[in-house]
Amino acid sequence: MNKKVLLTGSLLSLPVLVFLGISFRFDPRTIDSPLIGKTAPGFALEDLDGNRIDLAALRGKPVLLNFWATWCQPCIVEHPVLQAAARRYADRVHFLGVIYQDENDAILRFLRQRGSWGPSLVDPDVKVGIAYGVYGAPETFFIDSSGIVAEKVTGPLSPGQLDRILGGLL
Amino acid sequence: MSCRFAVALALLLLLSLVVPTSGQTPSGAPQAIVSPESVVGPPQGRALTGEELDRRTEALASIMRCPVCQALSVADSPTTSALAMREEARDLLAAGYTEAQVLQYFETSYGEFILLAPKKKGFNWLVWLAPLLVLLVGGGLVVKRMKGERPSSPSEDDSEAVDDELAEYAEQVRREVSG
Repeated sequence: MNKKVLLTGSLLSLPVLVFLGISFRFDPRTIDSPLIGKTAPGFALEDLDGNRIDLAALRGKPVLLNFWATWCQPCIVEHPVLQAAARRYADRVHFLGVIYQDENDAILRFLRQRGSWGPSLVDPDVKVGIAYGVYGAPETFFIDSSGIVAEKVTGPLSPGQLDRILGGLL
Repeated sequence: MSCRFAVALALLLLLSLVVPTSGQTPSGAPQAIVSPESVVGPPQGRALTGEELDRRTEALASIMRCPVCQALSVADSPTTSALAMREEARDLLAAGYTEAQVLQYFETSYGEFILLAPKKKGFNWLVWLAPLLVLLVGGGLVVKRMKGERPSSPSEDDSEAVDDELAEYAEQVRREVSG
């Protein structure tokens, strides 16, 4: 009787354990963006100097679109990586930053101290963040020269990762 | 001298109008332009206002998942992300987009993850049916076990064994009493 109960219990709990085992391997925050392979949501935003930048006008070259903030430690880690990449890929790739839930003054102070790697666009109502399905910062979208979202990276970019993705887009 | 001062002052005033102040954009709060129409087509409903707009916004927010929380709806979350999403839903409803269009807009960017209740289709049926199935199987097992158990009465073999055991003592008592 005990063996029967044990067998039934095991059979019933096995699918649950398998399901949980598979589920725990995934971090919901790193879910692939449903935008990959689709046209990047269009936007026109102003940078901190008031220059209006329209994504549609940048077609013809790949775009690196990075959502970042000064309160985000991984963004600070990523900053020099993006600076170096912006120098390496100058004239071949558009580097755009979108300020994610941060104060313009804090961004300006940060950029004065550490330098910039591209225009920082102001997204006051997080409308662009929502259109891109951003969960947090940093998140980077790679848009190919025809305006299609090619890849999304959650978390700080490494130089190797950047070279691999941009190399595929050039 | 006073003329030069006046000219310098005028120039300074003019410059202050042209050069942006630190931390602010020249046009004040810059307006983001994102086109929901390019994602979900033109608005298919009527532009909502007033209490109806508030009510529908809350209804939508209550079925959308806050992306930065653990199992909280946009309506229940006080985070900046949830507030921004609620505001965006409100703007879309006010612009005449239907509730289905608004949900589709968020689903296009966040995926089905944004819906608190998964759609009843494909693999998702598992989520809806598994609890029911577990309840049925568990209930069935409990009922089966309860039916299989008899009321607690000693079996005939047990009573015979007890009788044999007692018989020895009964005989001993009888002998002692009779003397």
